[in-house]
Amino acid sequence: MLSTIAKKVFPRSLWVYHCNTGACNGCDIEILNVLTPYYDLERFGMKLVASPRHADVMLVSGAVTRPTLSIVKKAYDAIPSPKLVFGIGSCAVGGGCWFDCYNVTGGADKAIPVNFFVPGCPPRPEAIIYGVALALGLVEKKSAPIELKQMEFPIDMYERNKAWEDRNVIYELLK
Amino acid sequence: MPTKDQIIKTLKDRFGSAVIGSESPKPERLFVDIKSGKVRDISNELVAMGGRYLVSVGYDSIADNGALGMIHTFAFDRDSLYIGIRTSVPADNPVMDSITPDIPNAGWSEREYADLLGMKFTGHPKPKRLILADDWPEGIYPLRKEVPWNLMPPAAEDVAYQLDECPEGCSIIPVGPYHPTLHEPAHFAVYVDGETIKGSDYRGFMTHRGIEKLCQTQLTYNEVPFVAERICGICGSVHATSYAQAVESAADITISRRAEYIRTIMLEIERIHSHLLWLGLAGHLIGFDTVFMQSWRIREPIMWLGERMTGNRKTYGMIVIGGVRRDITPEIKDDILNVIQKVEEELLVVQKAIVGDTAIHRRTKGVGYVSTQDVVKWSLVGPVARARGVDIDVRRDHPYAAYDEMKFDVPVFNSNDVWATVLVRILEVFEAIKIIRQCLDKMPNDGPVLTELAAPIEPMRHGIAAVEAPRGEVVHYVITGKENSPERWRVRAPTYPNLQGVPLMLLNNQLADVPIIIGSIDPCFSCTDRMEVVDIRTGGVKVLAQDELETLSRQIK
Repeated sequence: MLSTIAKKVFPRSLWVYHCNTGACNGCDIEILNVLTPYYDLERFGMKLVASPRHADVMLVSGAVTRPTLSIVKKAYDAIPSPKLVFGIGSCAVGGGCWFDCYNVTGGADKAIPVNFFVPGCPPRPEAIIYGVALALGLVEKKSAPIELKQMEFPIDMYERNKAWEDRNVIYELLK
Repeated sequence: MPTKDQIIKTLKDRFGSAVIGSESPKPERLFVDIKSGKVRDISNELVAMGGRYLVSVGYDSIADNGALGMIHTFAFDRDSLYIGIRTSVPADNPVMDSITPDIPNAGWSEREYADLLGMKFTGHPKPKRLILADDWPEGIYPLRKEVPWNLMPPAAEDVAYQLDECPEGCSIIPVGPYHPTLHEPAHFAVYVDGETIKGSDYRGFMTHRGIEKLCQTQLTYNEVPFVAERICGICGSVHATSYAQAVESAADITISRRAEYIRTIMLEIERIHSHLLWLGLAGHLIGFDTVFMQSWRIREPIMWLGERMTGNRKTYGMIVIGGVRRDITPEIKDDILNVIQKVEEELLVVQKAIVGDTAIHRRTKGVGYVSTQDVVKWSLVGPVARARGVDIDVRRDHPYAAYDEMKFDVPVFNSNDVWATVLVRILEVFEAIKIIRQCLDKMPNDGPVLTELAAPIEPMRHGIAAVEAPRGEVVHYVITGKENSPERWRVRAPTYPNLQGVPLMLLNNQLADVPIIIGSIDPCFSCTDRMEVVDIRTGGVKVLAQDELETLSRQIK
């Protein structure tokens, strides 16, 4: 439903403000990566801007730490409405592995309302583009299949050998 | 050239009973126990003998002997020797002499332990809060054992940063916390007279997540490497390798040669991707977006290669104590060779374009000048030091992994400016490619890549290990503990010393060059903080937003 609204509210190019609230740089360089020639987010009219005042969308990466909590709130307030907020990466989703450390407040939702989450550590550039495109209604949402399709453990692609066949015999029987 | 015995003899002759004892578990490691009263004199003596200050490690041993421990570490680069001088002060009166007046780079380490352990340093020139938030209450020291890792004192908003006084006749330009380089939060107050910078102060540590405390209390030895990779998303393998080597050094574990070769390959692949990333960002910072796009285009196959080798584009999760988790198969070997071949060809074109571009010359030559003496005095590391005539490289001076069998050059330049850091980093990519080729060529096949540990790791052993990260020297110090987890784990990222040299680099430069100077050290605040709008009202002279500063920085001088 949100994507239908988003289509109406953000009909044109989106300007994106990227806010690192305590990330390890992993998500940040993937966010920058979507601007570079292989992924080229600008073909959707999206552009990274330097100031929250110019932005429609805020990308939050990283767990919100104690010192950044107040400045994240201020940056959010500085974005003119209507606005969308994306939490990029595992840390923004729920605080990551340091969600309860002494200097960490938690995930991005502890500081500001977050509309969409893109999980991953770090999320692939494709995942970030897909997340944004999904929010804008550019792609259909893919729903999970009803029946369990994956009948084998996710394994190393180079390891599929005799030992693997033996180990996975149980899943052959289940078919 | 002092050897270990000579160093101990000199210290004993000069300081007599202040030197309690010494221990040398390995040929290239030496730990000296001293009394806390003489810490400053002994540190100065080691520096006079040719030592380079690395980092200080404070730890809580109240349960054992009611004291807070302190270890200052030094490197003797010509002799491949690391020295730790260990001392302790009683916990009820934790006062010791500061070594910062003579060794300026120790300033942050000492402030860190004033924050986290409640130690006090007499004679420290700037005893201000460094790591903890400004609203953190006094008297709670998170690194002490009685404080749980998840203690969260109530927060207060809008507490002003404690910054230096602005010099007479200057204005304050606040940069950040959301600032033009790398999108990481850190606050710089730049004091300017007109357009000329007359001083600066830094308030960072905003991405301090408490990783050290978390790993010491909650995790076991082999879980830590994965969290260590998340210290920094760019140089993750470096931290994991360094931690694993520190534990292996403390517990005396030998790993197979093949695993060491694979570690070397991972480290060099990471160096290629990191330097290309930096090259792009540097181009972006001086307004040359073609370099940004081209070098990130060249870099992308390296990310795909990482995914095919390890399963993830970065934070590879390859390195654990005892070796690596995956082997390199012949298919992957060919794959690596093809990818680095392509990178080499394409980077040669970009190198030509950069070296021949007069605009880049004018934006970077002579900018961020620091004299070689100052670099040595401030113990700066990595490309920042090598661009300023200091010939240090951990890979060559303190060989680890498979670097003792590799042939490579260490590029050093004497122009002492940002331009030289650009050149150093470009040349290091070619050296990295050379090293990967040698590794793949010589890789032995001597047993499993992951060594099983025969016995539990003994407690209370000290280990120190350094790795040459893309940004400089990473130092990890581990004290092994009981219950299968480290007692103390200290991480020093290269940005930690280099950032302390930024005020020197900024001095007397133009305001427009602030982004590229800060960018030239390739700052990685998350490493440094381990454990960071437009809202600043300090002095409130003029608030320059990030975009304005970027525009300003793009105007060619």
